[in-house]
Amino acid sequence: MSGGEILLDVEHVSLAFGGVRAINDVSFNIARGEIRAIIGPNGAGKTSMLNVINGFYHPQHGRISFHGKTRARMKPYEAASQGIARTFQNVALFKGMTTLDNILTGRSLKMRRNLFWQMLRHGPALAEEIEHRKFCEEIIDFLEIEHIRKAPVGTLPYGLQKRVELGRALAMEPTLLLLDEPMAGMNLEEKQDMSRFIVDVNQHFGTTIALIEHDIGVVMDLSDRIVVLEYGHKIADGTPDEVKSDQKVIDAYLGVAH
Amino acid sequence: MFYREVGQFKTSYAADQAIFPIRQDRIGLALILLVAFVAIPLLGGEFLIASVMIPFLILALAAIGLNILIGYTGLISLGTAAFMGVGAYACYKLSTLFPQVNILVWILTSGFIACAVGVVFGLPSLRIKGFYLAIATLAAQFFLQWCFGRVGWLYNYNPSGAIEVPGHSLFGVAVTGPSATPVTRYYVVLCIVVAMTWIASNLVHGRIGRNWMAVRDMDIAAQLMGIRLLPAKLLAFAVSSFYAGVAGALMVFIWLGAAEPEAFNINLSFLLLFMVIIGGLGSLLGSFFGAALIHILPIIVRAAPNALGLSVGSATVEHLTYVITGALIIFFLIVEPHGLARLWQIGKQKLRAWPFPY
Amino acid sequence: MHILYLIFVDPFVQMAGAPDLLVQTLWEGLVGGVLYALIALGFVLIFKASGVFNFAQGIMMVFAALTLVGLYEKGVPAWLALILAIGIMYLLALAVERVVLRPLVNQPDIMLFMATFGLTYLLIGLGEFVFGGNPKEMPVAALGLPKGSLDFKILGGLVSLQKIDIAAAVIASAMVAGLALFFQHTRIGRALRAVADDHQAALSVGISLNQIWVIVWFTAGIVALATGIMWGARSDVSFALQVISLKALPVLILGGFTSVPGAIVGGLIIGIGEKLGEFYWGPLVGGGIESWLAYVLALAFLLFKPEGLFGEKIIERI
Repeated sequence: MSGGEILLDVEHVSLAFGGVRAINDVSFNIARGEIRAIIGPNGAGKTSMLNVINGFYHPQHGRISFHGKTRARMKPYEAASQGIARTFQNVALFKGMTTLDNILTGRSLKMRRNLFWQMLRHGPALAEEIEHRKFCEEIIDFLEIEHIRKAPVGTLPYGLQKRVELGRALAMEPTLLLLDEPMAGMNLEEKQDMSRFIVDVNQHFGTTIALIEHDIGVVMDLSDRIVVLEYGHKIADGTPDEVKSDQKVIDAYLGVAH
Repeated sequence: MFYREVGQFKTSYAADQAIFPIRQDRIGLALILLVAFVAIPLLGGEFLIASVMIPFLILALAAIGLNILIGYTGLISLGTAAFMGVGAYACYKLSTLFPQVNILVWILTSGFIACAVGVVFGLPSLRIKGFYLAIATLAAQFFLQWCFGRVGWLYNYNPSGAIEVPGHSLFGVAVTGPSATPVTRYYVVLCIVVAMTWIASNLVHGRIGRNWMAVRDMDIAAQLMGIRLLPAKLLAFAVSSFYAGVAGALMVFIWLGAAEPEAFNINLSFLLLFMVIIGGLGSLLGSFFGAALIHILPIIVRAAPNALGLSVGSATVEHLTYVITGALIIFFLIVEPHGLARLWQIGKQKLRAWPFPY
Repeated sequence: MHILYLIFVDPFVQMAGAPDLLVQTLWEGLVGGVLYALIALGFVLIFKASGVFNFAQGIMMVFAALTLVGLYEKGVPAWLALILAIGIMYLLALAVERVVLRPLVNQPDIMLFMATFGLTYLLIGLGEFVFGGNPKEMPVAALGLPKGSLDFKILGGLVSLQKIDIAAAVIASAMVAGLALFFQHTRIGRALRAVADDHQAALSVGISLNQIWVIVWFTAGIVALATGIMWGARSDVSFALQVISLKALPVLILGGFTSVPGAIVGGLIIGIGEKLGEFYWGPLVGGGIESWLAYVLALAFLLFKPEGLFGEKIIERI
């Protein structure tokens, strides 16, 4: 699918915390409709890269264009309203709320009724609430989490929490979905389920996906193109086959004999 | 056995999204309202209405306001009493400047004034969190209380430094001042509290409530959902202060009849905090439970020695109230950190399974 | 324009015009600040070791002082009353660990915070129930503390230093130095710092959390007792001191919740700042601004430096 319209373009981005350079002059792009993986050893700057993309960190150098629009400093909520959704490495659900409420929160931006109607919870506000409930139910069906709809997410097992988090991101109907280690800490079966959801999201909803994952097998199977980072530098970029045979990548992962 | 939703199928999302989806709960609510609106005024004595029910409802209203801030949005405030004071003094100023206007209008307007002051003191909440914010709200508490005592304009340069409520009537019936009967005052408070509880319930069950809880549970993730922190937090401060302001105005106008700045001191803020915590963070019902417990407990402690035939000095009773309140707070935190509201839920769950253990 | 003059120029003219008054005010503020710093210090100790925002620290101070004075008034010799008061602070530490901390461990911070609120009420009620609610006088002489004042004729005027204040400053410094040595150079101190860093890790190397908590609360209790004696000697002992003890909170904001030097510097800044403010700017608005000035100062400070003077910089990770 590469070669299509460029959805997100990262150009020469550098990010430093004090003296520590987390990302050093990294450029890559994400085409509309593809699954793009970002891999690399721990501390390579992968999560920082996602944080830059959705506006949580502001890079010192470089530019990021999304939808062809270049932006300077963007706030996280602006990223959200432009259609960038995301899941987190350590599940970042709203622990005191139910699964359904968590997913409904993802619809927050799409709900327009003002304070007055919210206070009455009748007429338009209620109609809106129910309309979005319907949408969320579709996501719940899709992710097969009907049985935990009304359960507080804090009590759910880890694998299900990851799934609810994906559901919450999907509820935003994102153009670009950033997944930060969606399969970390999962067993084989859960990984298979999650892989299936990711592929389905990509194909059915046409959502573009950027994915960080350590399980190389999963990455090679799922992704269309892969960026490899090491110590904040980009060391390789290409299709799974190209990356697999790249000497720098092999060195980074297996170590080099000195 | 009696409390079971078996056979109640929901055929629409509207029914499932209702605030009381279970029929028994709706019946229970109707019964409570019936008791509050009919039984208590008919059967209750003056003591029950004037010294138990009116303060209880007013404190519960303030506790709801605080619960919106702490329980739903996760912003700790130790300055609720000051915002109640803003409501009270605003209502006093407005009703003495324009005595011909309906007093209910002024009570609600003073809520909005408290709301504005609350937003100003809520501004730091964007940068500071948790306990730091709690301490920052103490600035509001002490500064505002100082204003009530020092700015003569606020209490109309009354030599006693106190505010005294003039008589007001509503549709020809006295609702404030010495000529108002307890039952009339009770109805005024009850109507306002019921209406505002209903509104609070609507808010917390909709988009706004979910945004608040999202900010409370994980503010970073909330931002990435497109929720803007400052507006969400300020709205919580605004709504919370509105409730506190109305409660403060009611406290002076309907309950006490007169007040000094000391009435809004930090101890009241603490008591409200206890109500919210003991009742249950993030539960409107809990605010009522907490207010009931904290308000009624001292009444019982005071009455107990007489009932037992002991003579205990009033100072001793005061000290015992402190001891018992303190012990109860620790006790409840250990037994059920999520408050009386959670106990209530567990009770309902047991009732659902009854007569089987689970 | 006149108002600007009154705010920005006039107070400094007054200061320059009567330097002896200025020195006196600074001294008063300094001593107040030392005592705030001591309350904050007890607080920081507990926060570091058990992660508990101990709202009861101020009340512990009053409770300790009240126990001491109460026993003395009941005819117990001062030295024995002092020992008994220390003993009671130890029992309190044991009780807090057993009844409050142990059952509530791993609950959210706010629950522990609320529990210390409960403790506050309990201690107020208990103290007044046992010893009565009327203000009591600290037996300064019987405790061997100096009385009277030292007068200096300097700067064209008279500066008068209360001996008890000087003693307070000396004792406070000695206590801080002692604590610092204790934490740096003893086994318990090392264990305590380990616990402060990471509960789990400390547990896994065989440090007993419960024991550490008792020690820390006891230490905070002793600090509270010393503060209570000093403060009680300057005014009467009663729970009205509670409001003063709340002043330790803005000190914590300034200094950061986890920093001992922060508590001290913060205490001095707040103490001196509020005395200067009250004396030179207070009259402009009718006085009494001491009740809130510290909080507003702290709040203003927070807006620019949310982690405090010496607090660890908060880095948010996702």
